[in-house]
Amino acid sequence: MLDTLESWFTELVSWVHATLVSPAVYSLGLMSWSEWAYDATAFFVGGVLLVAFTTLVCLPLEQWRPVEPGRTLTADVRTDIGYTLITKLGILPLFTFAALYWLLRPVEGWARLHGFAPFSLEDAWPALATTPGVSLLFYVLVLDFTEYWRHRWQHRIEWWWQLHAVHHSQQQMTFWTDDRVHLLDDLIAALWMAAVALTIGMPPEQFPLVFAVLRFMESLSHANLRWNFGPLKRLLISPQFHRVHHGIGVGHEGRRYGVNFGVTFSVWDQLFRTADFRDEYPATGIRDQLDGRNYGHGFWETQWLGFIRLAQSLGTLLGRSSSRPSAR
Amino acid sequence: MTAITSPAPIAFACRVRRSLFRVLSTALLGCALLAASASNAMLPNEHAIVLNSGDGTVSLIDRATRKVVKTFPVGKEPHHLIGTLKDDEVVVANAVSNDLVFLDPVSGEVKRRLPRISDPYQLAYSPDGKWFISISLRLNRVDLYSMPNYELKARIPAAKTPSHVVFSSDSRMAYVTMQDSNELLAIDITTQKEAWRMPIGKTPAGIWLSPQGLIFVGIMSSDYVEVIDPVKRATVKKIVTGKGAHNVFPMGNGSKILVSNRVDGTITPVDYKTLVAEKPIKVGSGVDCMDISEDGKEVWATVRFEGRVAVIDMTGQKPIHYIPVGRSPHGIYFRSHARRDQ
Repeated sequence: MLDTLESWFTELVSWVHATLVSPAVYSLGLMSWSEWAYDATAFFVGGVLLVAFTTLVCLPLEQWRPVEPGRTLTADVRTDIGYTLITKLGILPLFTFAALYWLLRPVEGWARLHGFAPFSLEDAWPALATTPGVSLLFYVLVLDFTEYWRHRWQHRIEWWWQLHAVHHSQQQMTFWTDDRVHLLDDLIAALWMAAVALTIGMPPEQFPLVFAVLRFMESLSHANLRWNFGPLKRLLISPQFHRVHHGIGVGHEGRRYGVNFGVTFSVWDQLFRTADFRDEYPATGIRDQLDGRNYGHGFWETQWLGFIRLAQSLGTLLGRSSSRPSAR
Repeated sequence: MTAITSPAPIAFACRVRRSLFRVLSTALLGCALLAASASNAMLPNEHAIVLNSGDGTVSLIDRATRKVVKTFPVGKEPHHLIGTLKDDEVVVANAVSNDLVFLDPVSGEVKRRLPRISDPYQLAYSPDGKWFISISLRLNRVDLYSMPNYELKARIPAAKTPSHVVFSSDSRMAYVTMQDSNELLAIDITTQKEAWRMPIGKTPAGIWLSPQGLIFVGIMSSDYVEVIDPVKRATVKKIVTGKGAHNVFPMGNGSKILVSNRVDGTITPVDYKTLVAEKPIKVGSGVDCMDISEDGKEVWATVRFEGRVAVIDMTGQKPIHYIPVGRSPHGIYFRSHARRDQ
């Protein structure tokens, strides 16, 4: 079954690449990027399928048991749809890839030329390189663990919160909200991932389907859906658990700026005492939105206001203006 | 009266048995050889070893049945593999794992792993067996190691994007294609430094040196193989083969090379003495590395963007079989291969 799906996917990507992408890359004289263009094609086609699958599953669920009925295609939700499309179809990853490529490759090249080689956990633990299951489980857990801490610091560090507030400013949360992220926050996430890769090695690439499932789970956790996964909530992040994290007055104010920071597994929150399994579905957003503060509505406005807030926060940090307390 | 225990009849019986055995064994050997020649003289249980660079795995294909018998993880981003000079091991370059993995050349089983080889992409042994080169495509560098202990001797800066490498037949020079600066780089092995570089076509990739001393380079952003005289440092000819001319492999018959053309998805035979191209053979999108059977009748080629290996009948000049493997299959090797030097 999985082999058949993978075979269809390969045929589809190959057809798109051979028919449209490869001739274009050749005509533009960019053959040095031909392998990368193939990967980008696979990312795009995979993204289209992932968005289609996520919509087909999450939309009926949101209709079936919505937390907030009748809010399916408002202007704010349309903004999130835009965020999802530019993220999952590769436009934002293209931006972060380009930034990282030009930033990091010369540094890495210089370091290697002078004898530095990154640590590879496989050297110490060869089973990682030869046992697919162990390797997959290890990287999924480590990446989820590092994402938990990145997310905690997004809430804890003032200037970082001002960027992350773009994500939290959605008051009509749906499964599309997962990708509503500031561009700079995305870039920081990519740098974070590069640092993790340098520390523990790169995650294996032989499990794209598993990583697609994880992305789907992240979207589902943002769904406008009354569901707590029953006993599985102790293992996985449910829509209720993550809604509490987005809840005004709950998810990003108390216990030193929040609860329920996990991305895929809820075990880290339980382990580090940030889990809140309350059986509620609070209203989402940021407290001062209730007083009329504007965090933006369209893509460009949310981005621009994010930059402004970042500048104000950094200004405060450097001891200049703005004593405005930060809302969370 | 002759006793039945007399040695004469026993000796006769033994002689008859020996003769029969000889006849039978000759017949069996003949049959085996015939069968072997029909299947391109492969070794028993011989596997084609294929690197799936997108998956970080190796696919082992039974050469006789043409079926994948095993797939296993080998490292991150394995791109190229080569046989050692004695062909007693196959060396896999894991670019992102920063290591080399040594496989059995017939069965494809893992024998050992050599860590701390920084960013290996393409590899070559010098013909005299004293040197080993690992190309770092991503990080603009050529690493020179002394043999037999793979001791790092020099890291030679090589901007931009060194791609494929070949040694001169006297092992004194190494020639490297520079994918993003559109040059051919010559490295003097004695001084362990860059000797010279010359401009060639846009995005040069695969490289091979003929017994006549001419260098053949696939020009990927165009449709030709550039023939270069390294002594005169001059281009001799540009032979049109197909769009996205990428890699160059000798057929081992002392007259022809095969050029893979990625964009056209073809393989073009070229006479390397007369410098004339033949009709291209349609194979598939992103056709790349090849290995050629000892008798030159079969070519096995990775078709990267279709995730499969093509088996091409060189008599009929067409693919006769496709074998699905992993994502982005790149390097391919089997033990009963044609000579690499002619």
